[in-house]
Amino acid sequence: MQTVQYWFGDAEIDDGRVRSVKFLKKSGSEEYAERCRNIESDMADFVPLRVADAIAGDNGDTAGFKDEAEYFETLRLTTIALAESKIKLYYTKGDIELVQMVRVLDEMDNVINRLIERATEWYIVQNPKFSRKYKSVSAKKMVDIMRREKNSLGRLGYEIDRLSIERTRLMREISDRADIIAPNCSALVGGLVAARLISRAGSLSRMAMMPASAVQVLGAESALFTHLRGNTPSPKHGIIFQHRRIHNAGIGVRGKVSRVLGGKLAIAARLDYYRGEIAPEFIEKAQERIDYVFAAGDEGGKDNGNNGKADGKVDGKDDGKKKNDKSDKRRSAE
Amino acid sequence: MIRIDGVLLSKGSGGVYGEKMMKGLRVWDPYRSKFAALAMIKPETDLDEDLRVLYLGAANGTTVSHFADYVKTVYAVEFAPRPMQDLIEVSRRRKNIIPIMADATNPREYAPFVEEVGMIYQDVAQPNQAEIALVNLPFLKKGGVVILMLKARSVDVTADPKVIFEDTIKTLEDGGLIVEDTCRLEPYHHDHACIICRKP
Repeated sequence: MQTVQYWFGDAEIDDGRVRSVKFLKKSGSEEYAERCRNIESDMADFVPLRVADAIAGDNGDTAGFKDEAEYFETLRLTTIALAESKIKLYYTKGDIELVQMVRVLDEMDNVINRLIERATEWYIVQNPKFSRKYKSVSAKKMVDIMRREKNSLGRLGYEIDRLSIERTRLMREISDRADIIAPNCSALVGGLVAARLISRAGSLSRMAMMPASAVQVLGAESALFTHLRGNTPSPKHGIIFQHRRIHNAGIGVRGKVSRVLGGKLAIAARLDYYRGEIAPEFIEKAQERIDYVFAAGDEGGKDNGNNGKADGKVDGKDDGKKKNDKSDKRRSAE
Repeated sequence: MIRIDGVLLSKGSGGVYGEKMMKGLRVWDPYRSKFAALAMIKPETDLDEDLRVLYLGAANGTTVSHFADYVKTVYAVEFAPRPMQDLIEVSRRRKNIIPIMADATNPREYAPFVEEVGMIYQDVAQPNQAEIALVNLPFLKKGGVVILMLKARSVDVTADPKVIFEDTIKTLEDGGLIVEDTCRLEPYHHDHACIICRKP
């Protein structure tokens, strides 16, 4: 004799057959959904339900559903209610919206650049004497020049300008939101880059589960796969290249800085996901370490490489401690 | 299955995803749906109107809606929230679709809802496709079929699709299934293979 929990009630099962069912008191799909949130089945000796067992009369009992149509209607509404509440929960996490915002931002960049390019070509046709040579006309300036025209090109210039303003506003909003959702990542690389990383990873939870090496090359997927397929060198950095400590680093240590930053970011993402608040002592140490490896590039020479490595081991131990600390916290939270 | 002039069709009200209609029936495009591709390649493929299907990886519910036109009940399992929203919308209008938001690798989540089925149809873009099919076997009745749409690129982008294909078949056979038939879904879907198994 064993008890199996089905969505409509608990069933007593003997020898692979349902003997009796204790039905949940007749109610709406919301009550069924509530019950289903709390039940779990054991798959070891699982017996799939038989619809007939749930229908009054067919199961030799007066309790149960009136007929098959009522059974399936209630089941469908119950699973829909369950799915809807799960979707809602998923969207309230915040990083999902952040991902969409970053994607809109990237698309806006694209659109604005292409519009400016196209409109500039048009402007040059209208003003044959105009040339950008020797004048360093930035895109922004170009839009200002176009806006002075009194025709549809001028109006287009105005719209592009408005779009750029909106883009800046969105960028600030993304950065602010990243500060809240991923405080540690944002402290390391700034809100915008942190948001870009989360966006590329898909969500904060996915990024938190990524190995450091994956974080390091997030955004360089095409280079990575060309490398895995053929004999091109592996990419050193992806999105994190936008961090000043990497694009300003000397060519000799750029890979090292990327690796360190990737590692620290992977830890930061886990802190953000599991702890959700800033860890100042971690940020401070990580910055120190990044700056150290970065500075090694300025002096040049072989020695620095070795120093970096020796130091890396010490630091590695330190990280291990951090991880333990974190997992302790996680356990205590559970 | 309904075929007119070599076009696969299904009965039901249209407009689910902008599909074409032909003589009042819905056109089931083999280039969009892998099951339709299978039905074009293997004309003996059929869906019984009394069949219950456990559909793993239901996605937007396009193929699911065609399944629902043919069979009795479809238990549609999907994990991702975005496609789930569409699937719910489809199931509101097609009363024989039970949409379940759960992870197909963890059948405990949806075991309380699913009855014994005659077919497991699996189209998930996951690396461990054979294992997913095996953990869902308790739902399948004796003699039931498993139709597995294998996307080699989802298992391992760098490995040879042929090796992955053979590995998957071996895992399925070790899990107690009899592999009855296999085919590639060319020219409709690239890098896809279909494995049809039966539970003894």
